[in-house]
Amino acid sequence: MSIVQPSEIAAAPKRRRRRGTAKVNLGLISVPMLWLILFFLIPVVLVALYSVGVLTLISYDKYLSLDLWRYFLGNSTYLGGPLGRGLFWKSMKMSLGVSVTCVLLAYPVAYMLALVAGRRKYTLLLVIITPFLTSYLLRVLAWRVLLNPQGVIQEVLRGLGVLNADGNVTWLYNSTFAVYLVLAYAWVPFVALPIFVSLETLDRRLLEAASDLGASRLRAFWAVTLPLSIPGVIAAFFFVFVPTLGEFVTPSLVGGASGYMYGNQIVDLFGAGFPDWETGSVLALFLIGVVVVLTVAFSRFLQPQQVTAE
Amino acid sequence: MNDVALSKNGARVLRGFFALVVVFLYAPIVILLIFSFNNSDIPAFPLSGFTLHWYHQFLVNADLRASLETSALIAVMTSIGAVVLGVLSSIALVRRKFRGKAAASALLLSPLVIPYVVFGISLLLLFHTIGVPRGMFTVVIGHIVITLPYTILVLVPRLEQIDESLEEAAYDLGASRFRTFRSITLPLILPAVLSAFLIAFTTSFDEYAVASFVVGSRSTFPIYLYSALRFPSQLPQVIAVAVVVLIVSLTVVVAAELGRRIAERRVGAA
Repeated sequence: MSIVQPSEIAAAPKRRRRRGTAKVNLGLISVPMLWLILFFLIPVVLVALYSVGVLTLISYDKYLSLDLWRYFLGNSTYLGGPLGRGLFWKSMKMSLGVSVTCVLLAYPVAYMLALVAGRRKYTLLLVIITPFLTSYLLRVLAWRVLLNPQGVIQEVLRGLGVLNADGNVTWLYNSTFAVYLVLAYAWVPFVALPIFVSLETLDRRLLEAASDLGASRLRAFWAVTLPLSIPGVIAAFFFVFVPTLGEFVTPSLVGGASGYMYGNQIVDLFGAGFPDWETGSVLALFLIGVVVVLTVAFSRFLQPQQVTAE
Repeated sequence: MNDVALSKNGARVLRGFFALVVVFLYAPIVILLIFSFNNSDIPAFPLSGFTLHWYHQFLVNADLRASLETSALIAVMTSIGAVVLGVLSSIALVRRKFRGKAAASALLLSPLVIPYVVFGISLLLLFHTIGVPRGMFTVVIGHIVITLPYTILVLVPRLEQIDESLEEAAYDLGASRFRTFRSITLPLILPAVLSAFLIAFTTSFDEYAVASFVVGSRSTFPIYLYSALRFPSQLPQVIAVAVVVLIVSLTVVVAAELGRRIAERRVGAA
């Protein structure tokens, strides 16, 4: 994910004083690097040590073994068993569903902003993005008010007679559906941004050329617009898929028992009830591994500038 | 107009879809706003009258106010820390040459992709292992890590736009590196520094997942909110404070965006 290409400016001949540059260069970057090594990399190493028992919650009970890893990889609760049944796969499916939904919703929005909206496009983009900048918990709270059995949606359905007075749409609340809905709601604005950027930088003359050569608009979209916007779509997909893999806040607030995810399991293993930090570390480290693999696999599509509103 | 991107009808359909998405995005927030004035313990239709009771309740709820103060304090410390580290990193990445730059920038941006739950427990293990009691500063430490990449992403493009010869001129006139930074670079990147500060502030103020693992006895606002969500009787009050926070953050976001546009136009014109 290198963001800085050696700029052409630096290559141009210039009168430049060299005053102990090497030292200053390392000096500038060393504080942020040190911060991340201390508070980001070393903690991950500690997770690894906990996962094999070199460190343990009860300090006199240390051991060194891969038993927990074996259990994790073989047990059907987490990963093993019939493919796709464990909690990890449940979270994978959820993240996949949420990010695909987000892309499908955000693509037309970004398309309309970049190619139809004209001068007002930046203002309208701000309208789309603003909800993302407001409190996440508050937006989840809003959906709790909407979805719960005594909530707005079900009361309106009862009022309209669609639902009996004591009827209840069970899949609407404390369900996997609720988790999908709220997460998609939360991430759509964020997804619109990278797709917008890729569509906005699209050279319109290419579309004109396609049209001059007799292509219909649909054909031009399939042959020109869509392929050129794919990097933005992939980046958008990635930046929803990866962070939601460990999601536990939304599942615990609107998911109920059926919306229990991999992230909730990690939280509970570190929670107040019966903490099992060693098993929790196995789950956490496995997730880190998955994220690293995904990041490397996607890295050629990721231009980090796409996630800022510059 | 014969548009190459879309037919007239297509554009109409697309505008309609856009409007629907806007409704989808804002309807829950508007409904929250309505219920904050509703004179009932339960947020449900039909509405039972207008009240400012919940806003009053929020003003007298000491725990809630304390949590807002704690979050504000954490967010200020986080954003100062993240912006300072972000400026250092961005200058190094854009202006300086050193070995391992690609690796350095990968490390600096890697917190963008770590699931927060995993980062939260990693920090918990760190503080547990070295015996640091959890409190406000442990939250600040974690929040600086997760907001640093955002500050870098805002600052780097701005630095790349600035003509390096301005800094060269200052060096040639005998200014030290620090003097050059203070008199030339900093004023030019100030709009980006302010947006970086705001992004770090709002991210930290709203952050629940990491904070929930490393917070001490003083709750942050998201942690207060999360626990209040489990007690239905507190719901209307929470909705009222939610609305206040929402409006404040919307105002700040819109003001910041307008301010940034104006400032950048001025810098661009200069």
